[in-house]
Amino acid sequence: MAEPAAAPPSRRSGLARGLIWHGLNLGLPLAFVVVPILSFVLVSFWSLENGQIVEEFTLANYAAFFTDASYLPVYLSTVVLSLEVTVVNVALATAISLFIFRRSARVRFLMLMSFMLPLFMSYIIKVYSIRGILGQRGILNEALMAAGLIGEPIEVLLFSRTAIFIALAVIYLPYAILPIYLAFDRIPANYLAASADLGGSTADGLRRIVLPLGMPGIAVAAVFTFVLTFGDFVTPQMVGGTQGFTFGRIVFSQFGLALNWPLGSALAVVLLATTLLAVALAGLALRKEHVR
Amino acid sequence: MKPQGRLLDALLGALTAFGFVILYAPLVATSALSFFQIVRVRGAMGFAPFSLEPYLRLAANGEILAALATTLVVAAAATAASVVLGLMFAFYFVTARRTFGVAVQTMIFLPFLLPPIITGLSLLILFREIDFARGLATIVVGHIVFIVPVVYRTVLVRLQLLGRSLTEASLDLGASHFQTLTLVILPQLRPALIAGALLAFAISFDETLITLFVAGSETTLPIRLWAMMRVGFVPEINALATLILVFTAAVTLGVGLLQQRTVNRSL
Repeated sequence: MAEPAAAPPSRRSGLARGLIWHGLNLGLPLAFVVVPILSFVLVSFWSLENGQIVEEFTLANYAAFFTDASYLPVYLSTVVLSLEVTVVNVALATAISLFIFRRSARVRFLMLMSFMLPLFMSYIIKVYSIRGILGQRGILNEALMAAGLIGEPIEVLLFSRTAIFIALAVIYLPYAILPIYLAFDRIPANYLAASADLGGSTADGLRRIVLPLGMPGIAVAAVFTFVLTFGDFVTPQMVGGTQGFTFGRIVFSQFGLALNWPLGSALAVVLLATTLLAVALAGLALRKEHVR
Repeated sequence: MKPQGRLLDALLGALTAFGFVILYAPLVATSALSFFQIVRVRGAMGFAPFSLEPYLRLAANGEILAALATTLVVAAAATAASVVLGLMFAFYFVTARRTFGVAVQTMIFLPFLLPPIITGLSLLILFREIDFARGLATIVVGHIVFIVPVVYRTVLVRLQLLGRSLTEASLDLGASHFQTLTLVILPQLRPALIAGALLAFAISFDETLITLFVAGSETTLPIRLWAMMRVGFVPEINALATLILVFTAAVTLGVGLLQQRTVNRSL
């Protein structure tokens, strides 16, 4: 294919060009992706004294994660919250993908587009809009009050764990639909035709063909949802208020107000390790599925 | 269709409708409120008649317009750079030894696969380590790192679809490598480049989580909105939200149709 180096006039300049070519392609991602990640892992082993970063190896930040009562409980509750969103969204996304899958080709494209469109719409505006719906003077409360169903605004709608759950679920739903639908879409139509010919019902076809073959997509959807919800720190802040303290918010605050970068880095390493674990577990589950 | 299948479709259809409503209702409500503001008469809620007042106030809001200008500059710069880089990495993947290609691909995909918070804070620490002050340039770098994989992926798919024969024919017929690149390959990649660039631009325009780490004192539009929303409600936000939604919807639909056409043509 297109070698950027034109016919080399001499061996030496050809070699130099080759070096530059490899250097650019390997060097840029190394410098701007790998080195930053390694450096924050390194910083996590340093410490902060009197507002100054001390560049000496210590595990104190990791010890703080396990012993300080303000980190581990929040970590665990954030894992649970993200898992809840993951389960609900993957189930809903599977149903939606199945529905789209069972339509004709033209309708499929339109429906898929309409579910993918919010993916590219402004994240911050989505959070803002959801907050507008849930707020104490939000549309939902006002509508319920206007309908005479409630007398007072329901405060729990905004600035609560429920609000974070709802907002995260709405914002990250398209990320779950896309991989699941794409997995279904790869299933050859004649598999289902064969199943029907052999007397299988619609439900048989879905249970025995579509869902098992769609499993990789479902696993990817679960990983996407978990990783994105677990790492989000703006949504919980916007709709959770002081109530909704999530692990992502704690990490972010160490780089903002609290300004303890070594501790923040250590907590971020925990966050990163958790997401990698989620990826590994999904991979393992898929391999098992495959073997069976 | 058997009754069982019809029941199943009804159930799935209901869930699909539910999903559609929760995705769009907040956006529709925000847009509607930009034209019909909520007013309260002695505590009771009502709507003011149709008005474009929020849009006029938006047009006069210097802070928002300045943030919008910053965002456009950042998105344009980041998109231009990521088109060049995405193209380079895609060529590298198809020409270099497989291990090298896979290594590069894995590295450039990382920021897209990891949570943005990780990408953001690791860049923040990098900039501090090399003593580079945060500002417009750091935002652009943060965005490039995040959107390069998008351009790379769209270009690579197209490049692999092209195959080698076109290049070989061009070289056999006496074209130089450079001529082959500019006269044969790049024109073939144009739809992919346009689609990739538009997607990259849309993502950069909207990027919030990484930007919060690397922005310093510069504010892009999402960061400005974030700061305004924390303080309280401003009617201009609804107007701006509506404009942004319409804009991103138009871009996305355009890309979608473009992709659809390309796929159809290549089949």
